[in-house]
Amino acid sequence: MKWYPNKKPPTARLHVAVLTAALAGPAIAGGLPDLGGDTRPWDVDIYYENHTAHRGKDATGKTVGLAKFRNTMQVEADKRLAGGWGFHGVLRGTWDGVYRMNKGEFGEDAGGPIMLNNVSGAGGSTSVAHGAGVVNNGSGPPGNAFGFDINANPNDGMRVLGDRWHSIVPGDVAFGVPVRPCDEDKRGCRDFGGYGDLSLSELEMPEFNDRLDFIREAYVKKNISLDNGNNLFLKLGKQQVVWGRTDLFRVLDVINPVDYSRNNIYDELQDIRIPMWIAQAEYRMGPSESMQDRNLQIVWNVDKFRPNNLGQCGSPNAILDAGCFFRGMANLWDNGGTVANFANGTTATDFGPHQIGIRDVDLPDWSLSNTQLGIKFEGVTQGGLSFSLNALTYRSQLPSLRGLVTGPTNPFTGAPKTAAETNLIAFDVHYPRVNLIGGSMDFEAEAIGAAVRLEGAFTQGEEFANTARERLYSENNVFRGVIGIDRPTFISWINPRRTTLISAQLFWQHIFDHEYYKKGSRVAPSGAVNAFGPVGMPDWKDNFIGTVLIKAFLMNDRLSPELIIARDFRSRTHAIAPKVEWSVTDNLKLVVGANFKGGSNSRNRFDDCRSCNPYAPYTGTAADVGYSAGLASYEPLGRFRAGPIGVSMYEDDIFFMMRYKF
Amino acid sequence: MIKQLSLALMMAGLVTTAYAATEADVEASFNPYKNGVPSVAGLSAGAVITKANVEQFKDALAVGIYKMIKEGYYEVKVGATTQFEMNKAYVEATKKNLNTAKLGANNGDITGFVAGRPFPEEPDLNDPRAGEKLAWNYKYGVNWGDNAAIYPFFWKYRNMETGELERTIMMNMHFLNFKHRVQDAPVPEITPNPSDLFRAIYVKVLEPQDLKNTQLLIQRYDDDQKLDDAYLYLGFQRRVRRLATGQTTDAFLGSDLMIEDFEGYNGRVSDMKWTYKGTKTVLLPMWNHNDLKLTDEFKDRDGYKYVSFGGKGECFFDGTWQLRKTYVLEATPVNTNHPVSKRVFYMDAQLGNLNGAVEVYDRKGELWKVWTVGKSHPDHHLPLNKGAGIGIDDAFSMVDVQSKHCTTGQFKGQVDAKLNPADMFQVQFMRGGD
Repeated sequence: MKWYPNKKPPTARLHVAVLTAALAGPAIAGGLPDLGGDTRPWDVDIYYENHTAHRGKDATGKTVGLAKFRNTMQVEADKRLAGGWGFHGVLRGTWDGVYRMNKGEFGEDAGGPIMLNNVSGAGGSTSVAHGAGVVNNGSGPPGNAFGFDINANPNDGMRVLGDRWHSIVPGDVAFGVPVRPCDEDKRGCRDFGGYGDLSLSELEMPEFNDRLDFIREAYVKKNISLDNGNNLFLKLGKQQVVWGRTDLFRVLDVINPVDYSRNNIYDELQDIRIPMWIAQAEYRMGPSESMQDRNLQIVWNVDKFRPNNLGQCGSPNAILDAGCFFRGMANLWDNGGTVANFANGTTATDFGPHQIGIRDVDLPDWSLSNTQLGIKFEGVTQGGLSFSLNALTYRSQLPSLRGLVTGPTNPFTGAPKTAAETNLIAFDVHYPRVNLIGGSMDFEAEAIGAAVRLEGAFTQGEEFANTARERLYSENNVFRGVIGIDRPTFISWINPRRTTLISAQLFWQHIFDHEYYKKGSRVAPSGAVNAFGPVGMPDWKDNFIGTVLIKAFLMNDRLSPELIIARDFRSRTHAIAPKVEWSVTDNLKLVVGANFKGGSNSRNRFDDCRSCNPYAPYTGTAADVGYSAGLASYEPLGRFRAGPIGVSMYEDDIFFMMRYKF
Repeated sequence: MIKQLSLALMMAGLVTTAYAATEADVEASFNPYKNGVPSVAGLSAGAVITKANVEQFKDALAVGIYKMIKEGYYEVKVGATTQFEMNKAYVEATKKNLNTAKLGANNGDITGFVAGRPFPEEPDLNDPRAGEKLAWNYKYGVNWGDNAAIYPFFWKYRNMETGELERTIMMNMHFLNFKHRVQDAPVPEITPNPSDLFRAIYVKVLEPQDLKNTQLLIQRYDDDQKLDDAYLYLGFQRRVRRLATGQTTDAFLGSDLMIEDFEGYNGRVSDMKWTYKGTKTVLLPMWNHNDLKLTDEFKDRDGYKYVSFGGKGECFFDGTWQLRKTYVLEATPVNTNHPVSKRVFYMDAQLGNLNGAVEVYDRKGELWKVWTVGKSHPDHHLPLNKGAGIGIDDAFSMVDVQSKHCTTGQFKGQVDAKLNPADMFQVQFMRGGD
């Protein structure tokens, strides 16, 4: 991974400054944290973990096989320092053997030549090889720029976009995606902020990169008693800051980005949050005359921006299959390529370079204005209700694809894009600034013997795909909320002496000013309507996901079976994840488990913008530029309706995990 | 003689139910051995009760301990009965506030209590609320004093049949009284205290790896009708979770103890129906720590040694037992869904503690667990505990007699206010770690 190879990262200097400030003893600290200043020894724990997973058949019907052979060494070290400071560090190194042990699926032999649908049968066949599109430079209008160099973008090492998660429906749009590690095949490799351009060694040993991810955490902390009886708590360095009261969902817990490439959504967040260089201060006021506890926290994330790691295409965990969409699109921009059923919605088309796809990824550089700042007030009322009020200004951790205003070439004429040509499927990737306000609370509901958790956040600045807009995205305010109930319940056939924990959560996401036109309801200036299907935003206006956790405790809690069920109500898909943990000794834990998905993705298709009419008069009447007729496919926007569960429909894993403490 | 005294008091109870305690009652309450220590033929210091002779001493044993000896699991070594002089400030507070505490209309209601032992008079079998008064004496007892810590505290989970050591937990446990403080500044209350908390317990687990940094905070309101607030911080989640009521009666960290078992009984007075069953002389585990056979297995930095264990499956502490005046107290849960049907306590009359010998019965009414906590005289323990006037919890044994499993505890109890700052008992403190 390369981060600004031609620039000395200013954040490195800032990180040093942050730590130096701490280590040099700010005036308020009244002492220097000296790593050798306390005679007490280092407290060091060393762990080894093996996580092996086997995956069943993907949507092509082929058994994937080994999906993980991850070996992790982790060292956790604590040291009391002079002046009341303490140091905590976590080092982690991983080697995942899956890229070598199953190289036909995830390594240097992954992929191969592909065939793409040409439902019209034009050219004599309903299926053509990548590079053999029926609409090409030879068949297009005079002066056209269709067609591409097959030597620069050969039909090898590829898969058809989306073939992992849905069937290839005749008539759907599709294109080839290179899937081998980027040192083996550079096509479509882009740095999306920690993934997208990784070599085999970087994929198999993800912590060893320019961002020093093997340093999971390294911070100093101190609690300073103030003269007024309050305390100032400082925590400076690379760390995780956790907000909120929700399991699984990240409503307020958004300060650190998350690495979904490690194990999709199935690892503990502690292990997949990406620690950042953060200065954190808490002013702990304790009780007042009217509140039992009061605490004001300021979090300043001074690290250079990092988004969520969505997983590189060709690796086992590419959440939403987004990494494949991105890589395929980047390859189309760089080299051109064949797109199934594009022309007239029926005929395979060979696009040239710089016509469609993803051009650039705009990763925010480090600057003071690009740092991220949060503030939280956390309190407990007289009656024992715990609550927080949160505000955060940060960068979206998910990419936004903004349609290009300039840069693309009109394939029909070979001329640069004009201002009249909108709704182009050519993008730059941005990570917009997002402002969040929210809160959380929990309380005990004695009548039902349960603890109740609530969490909500309103954001401004998030961007969503929107085929009704010229640049194919829109900025929308969003509300997300979760209600959770934890109820320990006696289930006598499981354990008559010990409650079984039942925890249920309901997640709600509402997108304000949601734009969605039902089939036939959007009228173009010519009077035409979106006759083929809906257009607008593929994300649901209101989406609901429910989760239920049932966790039992046997053999003095050393044996703990659990079952998690998650249902995405709008995508109509679900995940079922049973697991049994066995603490054999204090130092050895074994886990076996699985996650199975079910439901149907049949509704999870959306306007793919083949009918957006960007190049009038070749694609439609000039008056109707940008008015999509709603021709739909699974790709590329169906993933936003399917969500993480629907897209992983064909990722049924069984796994074994062993963790040993030396 | 004790029995005679009890009978006399019982007769007095028949005459009047509105008994006003006197300074003589206070004296007798805190010094029940002024006129001599109890004795049972054959149970002098040095005697050993074994499976072979247990029937002879059955009446001087708590029911649970009797069963342990009878099964051959454990042998009880008898020591001399010793004075556990109570904390002077606590005794003074009792005298100063004598007869101010009154029971309210309902179980769990009390008015006028300020500090000290609220009901120092001898319990009366004819008083239907005598058990409740003893429960209040426990709740507002000296227990760990205004503040103390078990620092550290080792728990071991064992298979009693095989002796296999399944888990070893290392933790720190801290106690703080917000109200009714008698000795350590601030007296009588830590302010501001807007929620009117009475007491809090904070626990932090240090080992093993899968439980490391797990923290527990229990805040108990002075208003006994208010449910405790309990919070758990899970190290792997890095979040504070509020505990629902049911979780306080679950096996804590998989041990044989539930949170409600802490210190003998860790719940509200109003959660139980309390019945005083009479006064009895029984053997309780009370000793001088420094006189015991101790173990250096934990290699304490300060050279402190812990009480050693033996017996069946190494489930029983190697401590001496002494004859004590006890009040037999039964507690029946108000909640019919409670996993326990009844607890029987042998409350030490002098200390007012409940945990010397406890029997826990399951829902079917069958003996489930035998729970004993051995106490050391503070003057024969760590130097900093000298003169504390507190029975220092020193070792515990919780035996699940049905599953033949036990949890043992080895304490390093420290009566040291500095280890227990008030901010440690706030929810936010749990979030400040790693």
